Amino acid sequence: MLALTDSRLLARVQTGDDRAFALLFQRHYDRVYGILFRLVGTRAEAEDLAQEVFLRLYQQRFSRRREHNVGAWLYRVATNQGYNALRSRQRRWRRETALLPDATDAEPAPAEAAAQAETRAAVRAALARLPKRDVQLLLLRQIGLSYAELADVCGVAPGSVGTLLRRASDAFRRAYEREER
Amino acid sequence: MTHDPDEDVLQKLGALAPGEDEQPRTAAAWRTFQTRRDRSAEQPLTWRFSAMLKRRVVVTVGLLLLIVAAFSLPPVRAAASDFLGLFRVQKFAPISVSPEQVALLDQIAEQGLHPGSLIMTDEPGESQTVASIADAEALLGFRPRQIPALGEPTTIEVQSGGSGRLIVDLEQLRAIMGTAGVDPMLLPDSLEGAEINAVLHPGTVLTWADGTTLMQTRSPELDYPDDVDPVVIGEALLQALGMSDDEARRLSRAIDWNNTLVLPVPANLASFSEVVVHGTTGLALSSVEGYGNAILWQSGDYLYLLTGDGSIEELLALADRME
Repeated sequence: MLALTDSRLLARVQTGDDRAFALLFQRHYDRVYGILFRLVGTRAEAEDLAQEVFLRLYQQRFSRRREHNVGAWLYRVATNQGYNALRSRQRRWRRETALLPDATDAEPAPAEAAAQAETRAAVRAALARLPKRDVQLLLLRQIGLSYAELADVCGVAPGSVGTLLRRASDAFRRAYEREER
Repeated sequence: MTHDPDEDVLQKLGALAPGEDEQPRTAAAWRTFQTRRDRSAEQPLTWRFSAMLKRRVVVTVGLLLLIVAAFSLPPVRAAASDFLGLFRVQKFAPISVSPEQVALLDQIAEQGLHPGSLIMTDEPGESQTVASIADAEALLGFRPRQIPALGEPTTIEVQSGGSGRLIVDLEQLRAIMGTAGVDPMLLPDSLEGAEINAVLHPGTVLTWADGTTLMQTRSPELDYPDDVDPVVIGEALLQALGMSDDEARRLSRAIDWNNTLVLPVPANLASFSEVVVHGTTGLALSSVEGYGNAILWQSGDYLYLLTGDGSIEELLALADRME
């Protein structure tokens, strides 16, 4: 069953095959978690949001067509969940720090971890200045999605992905330099 | 030629990747998921079509609030009660919405994102079951129409009305539109702080033993100022429902936004067609998974939604025999 496509697994889920859903979960969990971790910055919140993403898939298993791209749907929902979590945080934080991880969740860090946290903060602050789609494209490409997958997840024409990535990359570089000043 | 982000950008973004002690714990997550899944309310396999429709109506009202919010003026005008427009449902414009877009809109709703501050001036109460049509009439202020051919309803529920005021938070509204894939800048700056008023009238749901249900209520009313171009705002709404820029612009120009209820119909759940009910143009909806059919129409000041397991033709025949 490992070799089955996502669509076939989802079809089996629709017939009540719990093992098929377990395989879908195992196949996509790491990426879903990875997307969320990069967005929200804490393990606890990323794990909780990842659960919500898979619960939504499970609850909607009967309303999704078999040919649907399950991975793209999961990554899109994960990105939206992450952004929604950040928006909730924005109500408490100023806009410039919207993409910083919640300080209440941060663990005390030694020097090396502190340096890493500083780098992460700068990257997040730079990303916070970009449009959502640019952030989505950059993060998903960084975790290894193909151009075709990016087109599906972000809802853009496959032929435009490269150009959009380049623009997003340039915008990030400018924002990051601004953060470093 | 590759257009990948430059190595320096990817390297910087790599800083956000989980560290050694932040790696995904897939096995533990699966166990947690199983527990949460079992605890969560399981949607029944025989998902009732009418339940879906009720939910869609709620979503539609939410979308209506969005668009009517966008029609509003800054508070200085609203405070002067300079309302020139009044929305009442007279026609329906069904829009087929993709499952992906529905998921996105559902997510927006579930996340509690609001287009502004909603102040309820008259909070709608809980739905209550009453013993007779006469009791329902006393609560509703109008006598519900019935279908004698089906006999006495097994359940008569009454939902009280309510009213409220929405003060638009343009940033939030634009965020919602952005999340729905719409250019947020379609919404004009003048919407910030705008105020609208909405009135939902009492309604009733009659249910018969064969599962047929008849919902009826007076049309909701939404007051809004009249000097913002509704075509542009409608265009944003239609884009939020997944239409392309061109499609949305074309259809928005064709719709009379003062009296047309835009009804999003999930393409994977239902198909729709126009029907004539009591001499007016209504809407027929059919579950693609065979859970039933529905017809929706407006007559006088009232909206009716009739659902059941029968065919569209059978539902139309029942509608003709309403008294």
